[in-house]
Amino acid sequence: MNAENYKKILLVDDDIDLLEQNKLLLESKGFNVVSAESGEDGWKLFQKEKPDAAIIDLIMEQMDSGFVLCHKIKKTELGKKIPVFILTSATYETGFKFSASTVEEKEWIKCDGIINKPVVVEELISKLENFNP
Amino acid sequence: METKKAKILIVDDEKGLRFGTQRLLEDEGYDVETAENGEQGIKLGTSNDFDVAVIDLKMPDIDGLDVLKEIKSSHPNTVCFIATAYASYDTAIQSTRLGAFGYIPKPFSPEEFIYQVELGVKQRELILDTQRLKREREESLLEIANEKSRLNTIIKSISDGVLVVNKVGEVAYFNYAALKYLNIPELKIGDEILNSLPKKIVDLVNKILESEKILLKTFSTQIDFQPVQELVIEAACTPVPHVDGSLAGVVIVLSNITQFKKIEQIKSQFVSMVAHELKTPLAAVQGFINIMLDPSIRIDKEKEKDYLSRSVARLKGLTDLVNDLLDISRMELQTKQREIEDIDIRKVIQNTSQFLEIELKKKEISCEINTEENLPTIKADLNEITRLITNLLSNAIKYNKENGKIYIDASVGKNYLSIKIKDTGVGMKPEEKAKLFNEFYRAKNEKTRGISGTGLGLTIVKRIVDSYHGKIDVDSEYGMGTTFTITLPINTN
Repeated sequence: MNAENYKKILLVDDDIDLLEQNKLLLESKGFNVVSAESGEDGWKLFQKEKPDAAIIDLIMEQMDSGFVLCHKIKKTELGKKIPVFILTSATYETGFKFSASTVEEKEWIKCDGIINKPVVVEELISKLENFNP
Repeated sequence: METKKAKILIVDDEKGLRFGTQRLLEDEGYDVETAENGEQGIKLGTSNDFDVAVIDLKMPDIDGLDVLKEIKSSHPNTVCFIATAYASYDTAIQSTRLGAFGYIPKPFSPEEFIYQVELGVKQRELILDTQRLKREREESLLEIANEKSRLNTIIKSISDGVLVVNKVGEVAYFNYAALKYLNIPELKIGDEILNSLPKKIVDLVNKILESEKILLKTFSTQIDFQPVQELVIEAACTPVPHVDGSLAGVVIVLSNITQFKKIEQIKSQFVSMVAHELKTPLAAVQGFINIMLDPSIRIDKEKEKDYLSRSVARLKGLTDLVNDLLDISRMELQTKQREIEDIDIRKVIQNTSQFLEIELKKKEISCEINTEENLPTIKADLNEITRLITNLLSNAIKYNKENGKIYIDASVGKNYLSIKIKDTGVGMKPEEKAKLFNEFYRAKNEKTRGISGTGLGLTIVKRIVDSYHGKIDVDSEYGMGTTFTITLPINTN
């Protein structure tokens, strides 16, 4: 699918600096970004805005707030159809060893991919284009 | 060294023969006693350990053979002769069967008699020597057996597992700790064991057994039984050589390293958390700079200034974090030199509140200090106590409302000092309270948004309080405020 089809992106991050930066970055590439600063607000916004894709920070109120929100979104009819990505710096580099590539990981991490911080827009666009629901 | 005189007993009813032989033997240097009948002979022969006894066969009261029997049964090492005029094969055989060493036919010449007695004395020496040697041998055998059992007991009672495997993979030795760690219910010496061992151990054992030259080093591996069992063991396999240097087998020593592994895990988790906490502010600063440099994103001067000052704030946070981490590390390593002195807690509270006055004024918070008169001093490090009060007071400001209040009380108990810091701020939810002292934990909810911090302030407070054997209590209600109560012992000596 082409990246132009993802007009509206839901962005959830409790770090207001990073949230604002990523919003600007995505908007500069022509996306329409709706943003929330907590898992709870993100959930409300998802239901209200019905976005074409979602990018969710992993560690917010709790260590696993991002996973919890992903899980909730992926349970909905809309959530099953759209790409949902986890945004994190907690990857191999920092010692938290997980990805969403193996079957087992996909079993418990209900998302369509992991996006590393800082966000590289080109990487995000390629991930959107390669998404298969 | 003078040799002990041999002791000889003569039992004979013939007076002349008794005296004659006694004088003969005494002249030869023997110690002689005589008995004039069988009864007396038994009495003397059973109550003394004679070297040699010469017993007349035919006596009026008791037969010489009965005397022989009695003496032999009480002193089997007394060498006995039977002397008789009625020499016959039958009596000779009978007396030998009853334990007599020889047979002296009467009449005998003095030379003949002395010769026989000398033979008897030599025999006696031989018997005693043999006995001594036998006893010595038994004693040394006992010693070896004791040594073996002592070693056995030591190896059996150590907490490490020990298992020795011979060249063909059979058990040569084991202790019970080994069975416990390897989860083998029963084992006998000689059992084939390799099939019941974890593969990692078998590989090492085979490596040693199959090598052409004897490898004089230890190979070790770790076996993790988790999550089936909370156990991680380290197995160290070392070749055991024979005296001639050839390979006898392999000794496997199993140590429980579960606790060590746990600590290692906690450490690496902590490092991961630190890395994450350091990365986040760096990413924020990098992000702002990237946006300002990005020609496709247009921002005005006002926005640019905002981003720069937000970058500075993130960098300040990063510096605070590094400082807090260094403090914790110093506390842990105990490299920090403590200067213990008498500390007036009232002064510390006053100085700290003055130091934080700007912060107080920013949020229009009033601070009410209430300290008891005549508070005793405590023995502590001034920097640490100042840090303690600063961290708690700055939290009370940060998490307070605009126009809020802070109450600081200090009072004295039986043998402790109590410091109470109460704020009228956002308070905590019960689940937040539970995690309060965890490293990097920061209560994140709609009321705490925008409050910066390292997540290490209360960790440091807790560590300082603990190091003085004090106590910290938290009382909090969400939306109403929080009270921290610190209790520090008053050191009287």
